[in-house]
Amino acid sequence: MREEKPMKKSQQATPQDETVSANRRQVLLGGIGLAAGTALAPGQAFAKSTEEEAGQGQVAEAPIAGKTVKQRVPFHGEHQAGIVTPRPANGIVASFNVIADDPEDLEALFRELTARIAFLTQGGEVPELNPKLPPADSGILGPVIEPDKLTVTVSLGASLFDKRPWLRELKPKQLIRMAEFPNDALDSEICHGDLALQLCANLQDTCIHALRDIMKNMPEYLVLHWMQEGNVPVVQASAGGEHGTARNFLGFHDGSANPNSTDAKEMDRIVWVTEDNGEPDWAMGGSYQAVRIIRNFVERWDRTPLGEQELIFGRKKDSGAPLDGGKTEFAVPDYAKDPDGKKTPLDSHIRLANPRTAKSQKNLILRRPFNYSNGFTKSGQLDQGLLFIVYQADLMEGFLAVQSRLNGEPLEEYIKPIGGGYFFVLPGARDRDDYLGRTLIEAIRSEPSQQAAEGL
Amino acid sequence: MHAWKALSVAALAFAIGVGSANAKQEDITLELVEPLADYKIYVAENTKQLVKDTTAFVAAIKDGDVEKAKSLFGPTRTSYEKIEPIAELFSDLDVSIDARADDYEKAEQDPDFTGFHKIEYVLWEKDTTDGLDEIADKLLADVTDLDKRINDLTFPPEKVVGGAAVLMEEVAATKISGEEDRYSHTDLWDFDANFAGSKKIFILVKPLIVEDDPEFVAKVEENFGDVDETLAKYKTDDGFVSYEELTDEDRTVLSARVNTLAEDLSTLRGKLGLD
Ligand code: HEM
Repeated sequence: MREEKPMKKSQQATPQDETVSANRRQVLLGGIGLAAGTALAPGQAFAKSTEEEAGQGQVAEAPIAGKTVKQRVPFHGEHQAGIVTPRPANGIVASFNVIADDPEDLEALFRELTARIAFLTQGGEVPELNPKLPPADSGILGPVIEPDKLTVTVSLGASLFDKRPWLRELKPKQLIRMAEFPNDALDSEICHGDLALQLCANLQDTCIHALRDIMKNMPEYLVLHWMQEGNVPVVQASAGGEHGTARNFLGFHDGSANPNSTDAKEMDRIVWVTEDNGEPDWAMGGSYQAVRIIRNFVERWDRTPLGEQELIFGRKKDSGAPLDGGKTEFAVPDYAKDPDGKKTPLDSHIRLANPRTAKSQKNLILRRPFNYSNGFTKSGQLDQGLLFIVYQADLMEGFLAVQSRLNGEPLEEYIKPIGGGYFFVLPGARDRDDYLGRTLIEAIRSEPSQQAAEGL
Repeated sequence: MHAWKALSVAALAFAIGVGSANAKQEDITLELVEPLADYKIYVAENTKQLVKDTTAFVAAIKDGDVEKAKSLFGPTRTSYEKIEPIAELFSDLDVSIDARADDYEKAEQDPDFTGFHKIEYVLWEKDTTDGLDEIADKLLADVTDLDKRINDLTFPPEKVVGGAAVLMEEVAATKISGEEDRYSHTDLWDFDANFAGSKKIFILVKPLIVEDDPEFVAKVEENFGDVDETLAKYKTDDGFVSYEELTDEDRTVLSARVNTLAEDLSTLRGKLGLD
């Protein structure tokens, strides 16, 4: 056991040090002239409280998590979690190749995956094994797994169905292999896959722990094909409770005009597959997931005039408000009053993505993206972008229609889609006796061809 | 559907029971005497073969016979790959015999880059044996030294038993990607040898666990069987086709089997009560 060490004076950040460096920066800013007048002296407004809190303790002491590690998202339900669940700060999309030669294998895979996800998302103690054996758990979260708002959302790719004669007939009717759009430069090493997991949690370590757990427990079924980590910047809670959307790596609020994810009726129309969609029965309660890894050319973007950036999106950068008025990002633009695009250009991102006509109502989609940062390129530029994830009941009217309208948009000069894929999210596991994928397995068993094969 | 697949890893591990392993420790060292002796013979045979094959390989290089040297590269390595867990105990030799270009800061151009993969690089990328004489001589001296040192070695039981999993880790980490023999694409030879070496160890200790853990044994054997079946598709009269001919589907199957074997065989030491 480690002794608790009283804090030594020398370990506290000394106030003088701070002042010196603050002064230095002021001098530097002053030299530029322009910025100095309006800029706050660094630290001036926030210094007091943060310095006191940041200065305590031993260097290698673990950073303290908030109470949020206790947040638990229910696993069971009509729909899977992780779609209308408020997006936490961190996420991973991992795409796998599946080894399953027959329906029994696939059922065993689904059951095992369900058991792992139920445990990981609800939390609990890690089983203790004989110390001569490798431990059951990676241990990175310690002996007790906190739920930490973890969700693991399971979805299936077209290749899973296409490669298996006994599944082919049951493929969701719009599930296709992602095809290249004009601005894409797809890299096959980060595209497609048989089965995808979207892991989201407050802390990235929670996502990583869950991914490692699933891969360790299911090596006979799942071989990793690609993965992408992402996160969104966290903000201070505001007094009013509403603190707006996170910003993407181009510095704009992202998600402002999303449909209302707390409105169940709206979600039934936009996100969840229902009888109206003409999908196979087993797919009811599922959803189409489009994942796109979209590189952002951030250096070039940061060298673009603010006014131009705002015209490209059709929104103000600081507030996120639409260009035709309103104070906040939640103000609704009125394109009818601006038919020639004098305020919001006709080719701006938001106007192309959603022209807000009666007809475009059926193209609404639920976006749930993360930012990613993958180091740098050979040219010494930052390799950053958007891990774009979007959900809809109808892939053609949703992502495919919206992306087709966006083809050729001015934003393309700053972005390059390089990976991702289309997947179909399985309906939820309703209770302890249920498992993810049950309706699909039952549908396989009741297929006439399958019954013949099994001699039923 | 294989029966073992329904068995979760955790359930398997619990089945042994905490504590029972300790009591086993003493008996097991006795019981391991015979498998260890057999394994020592296996290793000795392989290092002997390695010296013999390397002698012919080196002769071809010094004769300037590029084609012959190329044809001997894959098969010569196999006896090394089979016994890698033991060979690796002599880390100085392992580096000079089997290091890859990315183990060096300057990669292929690094003056310290020697051994099999340096020769592979020159044969395939430069299509010559020029400048290889010294490196070839060193390789032969190294494998001869290895043969001698291994004969004098007392085999640590945990290294031998653990070796079954180590070989799978090797395949999972670098071989499955085709990085190992990146110039010659003879990876399937290495693959096959790694599996053979792992299976050898498993079969030698199998009698000690089969009674307590028949399902585990069945699962491991089934996975080795699947690997054999997959590799068999790529066999030629005198070895294997180029790694580039492996289909994505088969690579996925091999990956899954290797990862599963690595997981399962990682419990072998514990199952035998070894530290
Ligand atoms: C790196 C790529 C992208 C960036 C940086 C980006 C950024 C933004 C921003 C800043 C907004 C305005 C705020 C908001 O309503 O969220 C927005 C809106 C939107 N974006 Fe994107 N976006 C990207 C790619 C896409 C893609 C690929 C699609 C779909 C194909 C898409 C569809 C939409 C939609 C539907 C809206 C809402 C428009 C509205 O209803 O007013 N975006 N995006």
